[in-house]
Amino acid sequence: MRALLVEDDPDLADDVARALGAAGFVVDRCGDGEDAWFQGDVEDYAVAILDLGLPRLDGLSVLRRWRSASRTMPVLILTARGDWTEKVEGIDAGADDYMAKPFAVGELVARVRALVRRASGHASTVLTVGRMAIDTARMAATVDGRQTPLSQLEFRLLNYLAHRQDHIVPAGEIAEHLYGASDGSDTNAIEAIVTRIRRKFGGAVIETRRGLGYRLTGLTG
Amino acid sequence: MRQSSLRLRLLIGAAVAIFLAMALAWGGISWLFHQHVERREAAELTKLAEQVAAGLTLGADGRPVVEPPPADPRFHAIASGNYWQASVAGASAQSQSLWDQSLPAAPASVDAWTRSTVNGPFGKQLTMVSRLIQPDTRPVRVVVRVASDDAEMRTALREFDRELALSLALLWLVLSIATYVQVSLGLRPLDRLRRDLDPLRRSPTARLSDEHPGEILPLTEAINAMASARESDLARARRRAADLAHSLKTPLAVVSAQSRRAREAGAADAADGIDRAVEAVGAALEAELARSRAAAARGAGGDAPALAVVEGLVAVIERTDRGEAVVFAVDVDPALRIPVDATDLAEMLGALIENGARHARRLVEIGGGREERDLVLHVADDGAGMDQSAIERAMQRGVRIDEAGGGHGLGLAIVRDLAEATEARFHLGRSPLGGLAAELRWSLAEDDPAKLG
Repeated sequence: MRALLVEDDPDLADDVARALGAAGFVVDRCGDGEDAWFQGDVEDYAVAILDLGLPRLDGLSVLRRWRSASRTMPVLILTARGDWTEKVEGIDAGADDYMAKPFAVGELVARVRALVRRASGHASTVLTVGRMAIDTARMAATVDGRQTPLSQLEFRLLNYLAHRQDHIVPAGEIAEHLYGASDGSDTNAIEAIVTRIRRKFGGAVIETRRGLGYRLTGLTG
Repeated sequence: MRQSSLRLRLLIGAAVAIFLAMALAWGGISWLFHQHVERREAAELTKLAEQVAAGLTLGADGRPVVEPPPADPRFHAIASGNYWQASVAGASAQSQSLWDQSLPAAPASVDAWTRSTVNGPFGKQLTMVSRLIQPDTRPVRVVVRVASDDAEMRTALREFDRELALSLALLWLVLSIATYVQVSLGLRPLDRLRRDLDPLRRSPTARLSDEHPGEILPLTEAINAMASARESDLARARRRAADLAHSLKTPLAVVSAQSRRAREAGAADAADGIDRAVEAVGAALEAELARSRAAAARGAGGDAPALAVVEGLVAVIERTDRGEAVVFAVDVDPALRIPVDATDLAEMLGALIENGARHARRLVEIGGGREERDLVLHVADDGAGMDQSAIERAMQRGVRIDEAGGGHGLGLAIVRDLAEATEARFHLGRSPLGGLAAELRWSLAEDDPAKLG
């Protein structure tokens, strides 16, 4: 499995490359942004580890160029500043995860593995309910051609309702599916997830039957 | 030393200047008018004197004779105030009104009538014209004098002076009021400038508008240039802090990697030591960064869109291990704007939301809106919460961030310092969900436009 490591500090890059190699990755290394953009654009990688502070072209610009060229490999960004604005900018630019320096190399390898597993682990299934298409591989839902990313819990709730379409699913049953064992207070959390999904797609995407549960309409009208 | 009011100085200066001008005008006008009246009086007297001179002859005995005498009846009534007299040494002809008195001597010339003011008979002050006249070929010069009591004229002149003074005083008052209005209107752009400066104090990005009079514009341009320099300084300070972090954190990551190698080589004790040192340096670095951020945030102001900041942070935290497992219920008014730089707001809310995600069981609630004159943001979770002593320790002023410990400590200490720097009230308590509830509250200034709606 090929990984692209973009880090301008040679000592750190050596160590991360060695750890990734030990974890079974074939690692290509770049020391500046221009090279990274080129490598990521022309080669296929299962994952990229991208430092934000790079010579010649900064990491965020590299990431934006990859995404605008439809390069979809998962990207973990490494940030030295570690402030929230930079993390938000990174995620907005299309990063899948971030780590602030200094980090434990073992944790970095574990996160890289999780990203690769998430990107390739799901069978690429698209469930369609009404006008909504749920892409289980990308963890995103598309309505009228507009794709919206979902959080883990939003995706799992939508996925569960989509598998039980035409059924009214009680909140307790959803909570059990999401959290395993659950108690009565979890229905508040379920209601909060439903509210977030409605905010993203519109109020009618999930129908509430008072006292009974929820039904995914997928905006059938 | 504080200078006195500009308005007061301008008003006092104008009032004194106008008063002096009025006094000068009063003196000048009065003098001119007195001269005019006295010339008229002298002209009248000269006419009468010429009548006396026309009838003047010398008798055979050398005594002066005026025949016919002036017909004006005022010369016939005794002590009437109007007198004439033609005299040579030892003899004279005079009006009946003089009775047994005579007019006093005064300078006289051959060429023209000479006007003078004299103390005349009957205790009156008189205006008098005199001239030396030679009536015939004999070498005898007769002094012809015609005089008139000027008491009435003096009274009229005094009345004129008084009325003129009153008129000019009234004019001084009117002009002083006009000056007050003019100064007030003239200083009004400065009042507007003062109001415009208030947003500049609160936000480094605010600028003065160019809708000021031409005389004020150079000042507003200079102030704007100074504000731009201040904004650049702030940005430079933040960049330097970030650069410092970058330059130190990457070597720190390298040292951390060395510890892993040492551990792999069997030197577990050395690796543990390196790890502890890296952790301590990392914490100190974060603390220093947080302190410099708080210092930069002090008085920096801003206008951060609360919902956009919250949504951005939630999108990041949802990708963390803990964030994946909890749901974020966001109920922030879309119109809510916080008078803080968006980066600082993200640091405060990021720490609170991440903290909530770390300790929540299922749910983190993030709310925000306006409560009367307060802008409020709160983050609550359904976790176990903090006990009162931990809350008190986190809120204690002066506790150093890097001494506040891990877990809740570091993040909350950063929020506490940034809240203090941005004039927010930061409160921790128990949430209705059971866990920790954190609240940030900013009070709007009296003249602040509503940040919501």
